[in-house]
Amino acid sequence: MSAVRILGLFNDFDAAANAIREVRDANLPTLKLDDVTIKSPIEHPEVEELLGVRPAPTRKYTLVGALLGGSLGFSLIASAQGNFFAQLKGGKPIIPLPPDFVLTYEMLILGGVYITVLAFLLCAGLPTRMKSTLYNTKISEDQIGVMVKADKHCIAEVKKIFQKHSALSIQEEVLE
Amino acid sequence: MNDFNRDKEKDIRDDIAWAQINKDVLQSIDKPRSAFWQLFAFAGFLFAIGVGCEIYQYRVGLGVGNFDNPHMWGLYIASFIFWIGMSHSGTLLSAILHIIHADWRKPIYRFAEAMTTFSLMTAGLFVMVHLGRLWQVYYALPYPNERWTWPNFQSPLLWDAMAIFTYLTSSMLFLYVGAIPDFAICRDNATGWRKNFYTVLALGWMGTDRQWRNFRVSYMTIACFLIPLAVSVHSIVASDFAMSQQPGWHITSFPPYFVAGALYSGCAAIITLFIVLRHTFRFEEYMTFPILDKIARLTFAIAMVWTYLNLIEFASVWYGHDMYSKEVLIQKATGPYSPFWWTMIFCGSVVPFALLSKWVRANLTAMMIISLLLNLGMWLERWMIVAPTFSHGYYPWTLDHDQWPSFVQWGIVLGSFGWFGLLFMLFCKLVPSVSMYEVKEMVYHRTLARKHAREA
Amino acid sequence: MSFSYMLQDWTKYRSTHPSGDLAKDHPEYKWAMAIDLDACTGCNACVVACYAENNLPVVGKEKFKHGQVMHWIRIERYWNDEDIETPHQGAQFMPMLCQQCEAAPCETVCPVGATNHTPDGLNSQIYNRCIGSRYCSANCPYKVRYFNWYNYPEQENAWPDPLPMQLNPDLTVRTKGIMEKCTFCVQRLRAAQSTARTEGRLVKDGEVTTACAQACPTGAITFGNLVDPYSKVATMWRQQRVELHKDIQDKDRNGDNDGVRGYRVLEDLRAYPSIMYLERIRDTKA
Repeated sequence: MSAVRILGLFNDFDAAANAIREVRDANLPTLKLDDVTIKSPIEHPEVEELLGVRPAPTRKYTLVGALLGGSLGFSLIASAQGNFFAQLKGGKPIIPLPPDFVLTYEMLILGGVYITVLAFLLCAGLPTRMKSTLYNTKISEDQIGVMVKADKHCIAEVKKIFQKHSALSIQEEVLE
Repeated sequence: MNDFNRDKEKDIRDDIAWAQINKDVLQSIDKPRSAFWQLFAFAGFLFAIGVGCEIYQYRVGLGVGNFDNPHMWGLYIASFIFWIGMSHSGTLLSAILHIIHADWRKPIYRFAEAMTTFSLMTAGLFVMVHLGRLWQVYYALPYPNERWTWPNFQSPLLWDAMAIFTYLTSSMLFLYVGAIPDFAICRDNATGWRKNFYTVLALGWMGTDRQWRNFRVSYMTIACFLIPLAVSVHSIVASDFAMSQQPGWHITSFPPYFVAGALYSGCAAIITLFIVLRHTFRFEEYMTFPILDKIARLTFAIAMVWTYLNLIEFASVWYGHDMYSKEVLIQKATGPYSPFWWTMIFCGSVVPFALLSKWVRANLTAMMIISLLLNLGMWLERWMIVAPTFSHGYYPWTLDHDQWPSFVQWGIVLGSFGWFGLLFMLFCKLVPSVSMYEVKEMVYHRTLARKHAREA
Repeated sequence: MSFSYMLQDWTKYRSTHPSGDLAKDHPEYKWAMAIDLDACTGCNACVVACYAENNLPVVGKEKFKHGQVMHWIRIERYWNDEDIETPHQGAQFMPMLCQQCEAAPCETVCPVGATNHTPDGLNSQIYNRCIGSRYCSANCPYKVRYFNWYNYPEQENAWPDPLPMQLNPDLTVRTKGIMEKCTFCVQRLRAAQSTARTEGRLVKDGEVTTACAQACPTGAITFGNLVDPYSKVATMWRQQRVELHKDIQDKDRNGDNDGVRGYRVLEDLRAYPSIMYLERIRDTKA
């Protein structure tokens, strides 16, 4: 069973959307909607109507990261202060809550931001090696690419659909 | 320079070809012309002055800065706060305007965020320059060590350290993550060592819907974190003063006052760099007059907030019973610092009224001069917070009205501007200073809106 | 790391100081001073003694004019312009030194914790730890902290030969970038405490004193242990009705001070200084 990947480049989002819609409606046997990817120079959240809602779970990580950052921060700081129970400072308590609040707040934000960045990289699948997948430099300029992975036989159908919607260029690649 | 013929309503033309956007911005990171190298050398020269003064001070001792008892702090702390303040512009533009979907920020936020990062790095220099034993600055870092000691977390200076570290790293990450799609564009159009450089930076970004989806959510999340962070960072810097009990410092409104001042000086700096970049890289299509108009009006609004907080502080001191604070205020207005104090009032509260005039807002020379004056006022404001309280504290015997900073202090302050210039110029040549993908989004949405309006 | 320390006794970590109970705050020693401004003649013997005892560098005329002087105790002169008919009424002298505040504003703000409060009531300054941020001095209401603006021992040649022979070996000579201040001659206190501990007793009143108190020709400076109720300094504080933990004394509450001379400088800032000054008796025209 040999799979083929095909990348069709379109002039604008409408043409690409029409092509995707037709591919979806064609209901080709070995083609799942998950195998359809759109590559674009700007974001198109409206593609979710066509491809279905896909998850972006970064915010769960953010919550964990923020809570972790805050609690670790407070523990570190309060323990460090607790180490010096014989050294009074300014008549204040050894573990004073106002400074600890300020620092816990900062560490909460630190944890949240770092974990969000990490989550973004993880969830988006970055960094990735570009050689292993089809790409065209025009995508970063002004053309939208639709990439479909399917069986060799279905690919001919997909190619026809692409040409019907005036694809500017089509690239093919045989996998294993 | 006065383009009255341009369409004033639109922040950007909606018929710019995306390929054109790529081309226009990418030519800004081409091989630099000789003017760039000359300016770079000048910034390097300023920085060298600063380095020279610091070496002298490091070897001989802080006394060469004309410090004494009670003038323990001087221009270093004032400039430190000035640079931290300037860093708030990036966050304001990037994060706050992003969350409220103000599209006009899109062509200008990249260099504003870069300004944030480099301002923070410059402020970090001053932390070290100001210390008496700079070679032991690592004592202030919280990590398990063989001395079995931790820093003193009660100290506002340490809160500064933690907050600024958080802010610097978060800003850098925000800037970098937001630039990944642009690095992909650079990678696709570069050759030679630049191609390798951008390939690494772009992390293999291909613009797939999965990447864009996660990007959108993450970027918004980080922006939501950065806003409370920016407010808290400068509040913490303000609490260096507010948490002490010296007259003129122990003021509850200092945290919001500092944050307002920070946003103010950040906006003024954005105007300055806007005009510089627009001219240097010929970004007239992107850094348009309507956008400049909006920033100018924002600056005016913040100027009024700053003026209000100033007036509140003066009023509450004047009508209060704290005679020490009142004396410090009278000192500021009539004592040895009064020329600087009144210049600060003029630059900070009177000059922004020029921004009310439409003619001024459309005149690049006037805007350049005004923005520089506003920042001068803000720098003076920081100095006027630090110095008068030292000269006129609680204790009558320690009043010292004629201590002025020496050439060493001025040299290092000058050097910091050189350092900032060096970093910013390097940035302009390595990273696209206009966010290409966001400008494309702007054009796309305007085209869509026009199409829907036509169909309706 | 001491997570367990923090959890041990949370109330212990949350109490403030001074608590009002001197015996609880300072079980054995609380060093304090009483300075009689009526006895002070402004002779500066205390200043010289402090220089000798604590290895203070003489900075020279230029730096002194510049305000970069290093005297840990300074004699301040105040001129009362109204009473200059009689010559001795012209100047008033006030020896000002580190007040060793119980709730010292300098202690909270040091980023590295180089200044702390000791169990015997002193405000300690740890030279090795200081990185020279000078925030402690910025927060000091009395401005009694002095910074080493230059490297006096080596680069400034403050003690040309044979002067290093007179340096006190019991304490260090400080280099540039370090904050220093009066320590109530802590080297003497520690030596006396050590001797006393070996003998199984507490330090007796009068057994140890500071260099300034020792040198004062009129006995204006009294130094001792406030916890010992029979010490001279505790008796003086009691007679003057000045209490350590109050920010406004009972005798001051009705406006006058019942004719009792004792007061503390800038008491309402709630730093709780450990030095009581006795106001100068003024001659008025009969």
